[in-house]
Order: sequence, then C-alpha cells, then structure tokens
Amino acid sequence: MRALFDLFRYARPLALLLAPWLLFACAAEAPPPGEAPPIDVRAEPSALRFDPQTKTVEVSIVNHGTRPVPVSGFRIVGNDWSSFSIVEPLNPRMVQPGRPMRFSIAVEADTFKGPEHAIESIVVDPEALRADDENHDHDDDDAYRDGDAILAFDVAGVEHTATLSFEDPSWWWTVALPGVLKVHLLVLGFILPLASLLLWQERKQSAMMQDRLGPNMARITLGGLTIRLWGLLHIVTDGLKMFFKEDFVPRRAHRALYTLAPIMALVPALVVFAIVPFGDALCYDSLLDVVSQADVDQCAAGRGGTPLQIAKIDVGLLFYFAIASLATWGATLAGWASYNKWAILGALRASAQMISYEVAIGLTIVGALLVYGTLEPHALVHAQLDSAWGIVLQPVAFVLFFTAAIAETKRAPFDLPEGESEIVGYFIEYSGMRFGLFFLSEFIEIVFVSALVTTLFLGGWAMPLGMFGASGFAAPWVAQAFFTVAGAAVMATGFAVWRASTHATFVGGAMAMVGALHIGAAVYSLFTGWGTELPHVAVVLVGMLTWGLKVFALCWVQLLIRWTLPRFRYDQLMSLGWKNLLPLSLANIVITAVVVYALAAARTITPEPVEPEPPGLGSIPDRAPIGAPPSVEPKAAP
Amino acid sequence: MTITVKKVSLERTAADQVFLPAILRGLVTTARHFFKNTLTKGMGDVDTIRYGEPGVNVEDYYPERFRGVHRLMHREDGSVRCVACMCCSTVCPARCIYIKAEDRGDDEEKAPASFVIDELKCVVCGFCVEACPCDAIRMDTKMHMEPTQTRAEAVLGKIDLMKRGGQSVAVQGGIGPDYREDAPKADPRFEHDRR
Repeated sequence: MRALFDLFRYARPLALLLAPWLLFACAAEAPPPGEAPPIDVRAEPSALRFDPQTKTVEVSIVNHGTRPVPVSGFRIVGNDWSSFSIVEPLNPRMVQPGRPMRFSIAVEADTFKGPEHAIESIVVDPEALRADDENHDHDDDDAYRDGDAILAFDVAGVEHTATLSFEDPSWWWTVALPGVLKVHLLVLGFILPLASLLLWQERKQSAMMQDRLGPNMARITLGGLTIRLWGLLHIVTDGLKMFFKEDFVPRRAHRALYTLAPIMALVPALVVFAIVPFGDALCYDSLLDVVSQADVDQCAAGRGGTPLQIAKIDVGLLFYFAIASLATWGATLAGWASYNKWAILGALRASAQMISYEVAIGLTIVGALLVYGTLEPHALVHAQLDSAWGIVLQPVAFVLFFTAAIAETKRAPFDLPEGESEIVGYFIEYSGMRFGLFFLSEFIEIVFVSALVTTLFLGGWAMPLGMFGASGFAAPWVAQAFFTVAGAAVMATGFAVWRASTHATFVGGAMAMVGALHIGAAVYSLFTGWGTELPHVAVVLVGMLTWGLKVFALCWVQLLIRWTLPRFRYDQLMSLGWKNLLPLSLANIVITAVVVYALAAARTITPEPVEPEPPGLGSIPDRAPIGAPPSVEPKAAP
Repeated sequence: MTITVKKVSLERTAADQVFLPAILRGLVTTARHFFKNTLTKGMGDVDTIRYGEPGVNVEDYYPERFRGVHRLMHREDGSVRCVACMCCSTVCPARCIYIKAEDRGDDEEKAPASFVIDELKCVVCGFCVEACPCDAIRMDTKMHMEPTQTRAEAVLGKIDLMKRGGQSVAVQGGIGPDYREDAPKADPRFEHDRR
C-alpha cells in the first residue's frame, strides 16, 4: 500500500517531466481522422535469399489490412531474372486478411557458376578469349557469383516488390565469425557474470530468507565515498581469496587426474550451453527495419543472418544428454584422485545419483518431444509458440524434469555428494582456485538448468501468449497493457527498494525512472498506436532480455528451493529417483503418446476444410503468369 | 474436569505423499520472508546487530555482566591491587594465568612480580573474577581481545593488564565503600561499578 502511495507521490513530478515530450510525440504521429483503412499487403519474407544449398524459398503474400484485396501479375524482373522462377503458376486472386497466399520461388544455382564476365557477353574475338582464359584463375570456376532479381506483383493495381538475391557466402562469414561472437556474447556476457552473481546471491538470498544480514562488509572507499552495494563486492573478494590461497595437492593423490578433475567439471557445464537458443535470429542487413517472422526464419536458417544459438544442431537435446553426463566425471575423478576416503564416498554417491537421475531426466523430456516433434531447441521453442508453452501441455513433465535437473546439479535437497556434516564431499582435498572451479561449475549448472527449463517449458525468448512477435507487439492495446503493468510493477519495486535501503538509493531511483518510462511508453502508444512495428534490433534485444529474465527468475526459484527444503537421506534419494520419478515419467510418456496419437487420428478422420481457390478476377487487367501455360478460355458451344 | 486424550491421526494423506503441496507451502513461507526483508524499510525481521558499522556503539548492546578482556585494578597509590594469592590461577579451568609472587615491602602483603594471562588459552569463563578476594582482576572492559599478528602479542603481562585498570572503590580487606568518607571516586567509564 505504501508502495502505491509512493507511486502516486513520485508519479506527478515524473509525469510533469514527461508530459511535454509526450504531447509533442503524440501531435507529431497521430493519424489524421476519417481516412479509409489503408491497404497493407506485403510479401514475407520481403527479401528472399538463396544460396547453393537452398533451391526453393517459400514466400507468402500476407494481407495486414482489414478487407480483402486483389493481387495479380506475379513476375520476376531485374538483373538475373532468368535464373529465378515461380514454382507453380499463379492466378490472380483475392487475398483475405489472415489468410496468406503461399507459393515458392526456385533458383537455378548453376547459372551463377563460373566467372562473371562469361555471362556478360559472348566474346567474339578468339584471341581475346584465349588471353582471357589464360589470365583467368581457374580455381574460381567452381565458385558462385552473387545475383539478384526482383519479384513484383500488383496489389489493386499498385506494384509491390520483394527482392531475390543469391549468394554463396564463405564459411568464415556464416559460421566461424558469428559462432565466435555468439560464444563470447553468451559465455562472457551472460553465463559467467550470472554465475558469479549467483555466488553472492546464494549467500544474500539465503540470509534474507532466514532473517539474517548476509554478506555486506566488503567495500571500496574512494576518498569520502564508500561503495558497498549490499555486499556485491564479495564476489571480488571471494575471487581474490580463491586465487591467492594455497594450491594444495595431497601427497598420495594422482596428480594428473587431480588436476584434470576440476576442468572436467567445468568444461561440460559450459559446453552444453551451445544448444540453448537465447533469441530467435539476427538479420545483419535489416537491423533498423521492421521485419516479419518469415524474414527472421530465413536468418535463422543462416541466410542473411544468424540464429541466436551457438550450435543449431538437429540432435540438440541428445547432445545435451551426452555432454551433461560427462560432468559426473569431474566429481568422480576428483573423489578417486584425492586419495581420501570421504572424497571417494562422495564420488560414489555422485556417480550413483547421476545415473539415477539421468534416466529420469531423459524420459521426462520424451513427453515434450512427442508433443512438439523435434529435438532441436530452436525448433522446439517455435513449436511452443505455435501451440502452447511446455508448462501448459506437459505440466507433469515440467515438475519431474525440474526435480531431476536440480538433482543433476548436486545441490540441496539432493546434495548427497557433498554433505558438510558427514562426508565433506568429493572436493574435500581441493583448495584455492581448483575448488573455485568446482564451485563455479555448480553455479553454471544452475544457470544451465534454468536455461534448459526456459527453452523446453517456458517458451524460450518469447513473451507469453504470443503478445510479442518478430515485428513487435501483437496489437497496440497489448503494448499499452504490457507497458502499464510492467511499468507499475517496476516503479513500485523501485520505490520499495528506495525506501528500504539506507544506502545506494540510486538503484531504487533508477528502477523508478525505468518504470516511469514504461508508463510514458504506454501513454505514447495510447495516442499513436505505437508498438506494433519496432526495429529488428530492438525486437532481438527484447527477446534476449525476456530470455535472461526467465533464466534469472528460475535461478532465484532454485536458490529458494535449495534454502527451503531439508536434504534427503541417501536411500530416500535413490527411491525417489527409481521408484517415483522413473515410473511417473514413463506414465507421462504413455499418456502423452496416446493423446497425441488420438488427436492425430481425429485430424485424419475429419480433415480441415480446404478453402476453394477463388475464381479469377475478370475486372483486373492481368498478364499471363510466368511459366503458366497460355490460358484457354472455354468456348461456348456453337 | 476430566482428562481427555487427544488422538492425532498419523496417516499420511495423498497430499503428504506427493510432497508437492507441503513443498509449495514451505517455498511460500521462505519467499514471504525474502520479500519482507528486501522490500520493507529497516530490513523487515532482520534483528542483526551491525557490529563494526560506523555509528553503532557495540557497548549499547552488551549485557551488564558481559565478560571482556581482563584488566588489573589499581590501589590508591597506583600500584597493583593483586596480592598474589593464586586464587585465580588455581581456579582457572584453562590454566592460562601465571603468577610469580614477591614481597610487597610493606610487611603485610605479597604482590605479583609477574602476572601473565595467555588470552589465546583463556575460555572467558570469568571464574578468576569470582575467585579474586580483593577485586584485583576484572573482565568488565567490554572489549574483545584484539586480533594479533603473533601469538606472543596475545600473552598479556602485568603492565598491559594494568593499562586498562582503574582504582577500585573496594577497600583492601573487604570492608566496603562506606568505610571512609574520602573513598575514591570510581572511573566514570565504569559507572555501574558503584552498585
């Protein structure tokens, strides 16, 4: 209640600050009243991209307006018009809103082969031809040259176009360079910062849950200014402590394996992130343009852009199972190589626990795979966006998977391999940064479990209910509702933080300002209808931010679980894994399979009604479509 | 009034057996504490004393009988009150008090030639204070033993212990403070000693 009061108290000066800007913006962008709804027909994707591997590209003519519009006169013009062709003959037709017209365009890739000059003209002079042939580097003969053309069509008599382009980009530019950049963006920009933040958050959050203060003493003093930031600097002090502590190796330890074990724990935890999509796709050429989902799909396929996922491999989730199981090696090797009976007990428990939960974790996912029909995480997220999130369609699998995944991270309530009170753990002999690597990999696994649950069950980078698509919000009112609710929540939290904290009030103040900007955006959208068409780069950033927030929220939930529940006894842990999770996940698979099969059968028995092709439009002047046989008018019988 | 036996059903319900409702209740409880402590002024239910923070006087929070680091009290002429009776070193369970006696020179009492307390061994039980017959040793400094660089620095001798000392209002021989009109005033830092 106090937060609401503060909201109103501080909202007035903020509104006064924002008002002139808002009024100006609204006046500038308000649509003139009393105009007929505009015709808005587009080809999606608006730029069709081909490469030697892609022979055909599907294109849709989508009507974004409110009334049906005649579309006719499909033709291909431009430099390389002869290399492209429309696959099926197209008749002019009315395109209804919400019922896109789909067809494909094919390319003859071989026409782009060879040196460019050979196509330009026929060289008549044989001497020149021979000289040219000698000078020419024949290694390039197999290379493709770039080509482009234009797909044109008439919408109610007005010409619309979409560009066609063919190129054979080098491996460096399509795979290597974006891959390296994405690895750095994800690992250095998200995983490691979040994992180090979790080192602090675990201590602080547990303190807050247990009415304690938690870490708050690390500070930097610059002159008279003391920076403490709720103990955030403990991340730095912890790191320094780890680095400068004695690096101890027990005398009878196996030195090589003892050194290898922390690396074996850390590397798989980082490698599995390769399959996690942290956004849809980035199109290089249209960062500031409004793009459609079809454009983004094209970029996700690697043509003109890159998917925001390090490795888009078809066996994605199998790759995860393969690599995640390797993480157990770290614990097992550490325990064995330490030459310590407590360590080897911890290692045995770790391996037994991993085997139990690996089975359950694999089987719980199968239900989701049956529903969505793919193993590839990027496609899995798209399948969720087309139907519903995994948590709605597979709630049992969600609970089972989350449980098994927490067990996989070897943390409470499943922290049997560690157990401070009995065996200290498989890392009992480790000190310094070797121990730090185990510690860090544990937190990286937390982040990964959150990321995987987000991908499988929480719709990845997408906002709920399809409210935010490839080109922006689904409708202006959605944007207004979102900005109002989000802004109010952020502002209220900001004021609460502001009041609660005795220092660093600027964080609360900044949150309040961000919330106020949200409210301002809502008001702006209310007057101008802004929000449905955002630049591509903004959409990508919003997607990554949504994904990050979901992952962070799940990390928070995992810490909440870890500090709420008591730990299991070892036999209880085993019986939970083998006697509860395994049968339940099997039952989930059977029930899901039956339901999926029944639904598919029902769809086969009563197929969806196919809309008949609308008749040709006699009133519209039309050319014969390219590649179509000359239309024969049925002659009336004499 | 009849005594009745209340029977508690120990059967596990279906909700108990799947754990989840109980787990959710627990999560709600801890989450409530989390948000209360992070988002309300004065940190909600957190009662931690901010020891070492600027502006926080730790002595305000210590009880009257808090046992801090030792001190040796003075006589009116500034010499040590201790008569080297060995009561404290005898009663000490940690055996951390070492006293060597010498003749005081007034033909009445002994005095410690050396009085050493190893604060690293001390278990802060306060028996030495209880045992002292002449109010010579006290633990009412309200100070913790400071951290030291070497073990030797934590072994306090007579000089160190008397630095923190003050005059005791007790009269040698144990007759009491009202024995004489010109009884010395107590150190104002230790007001509560007057009682």
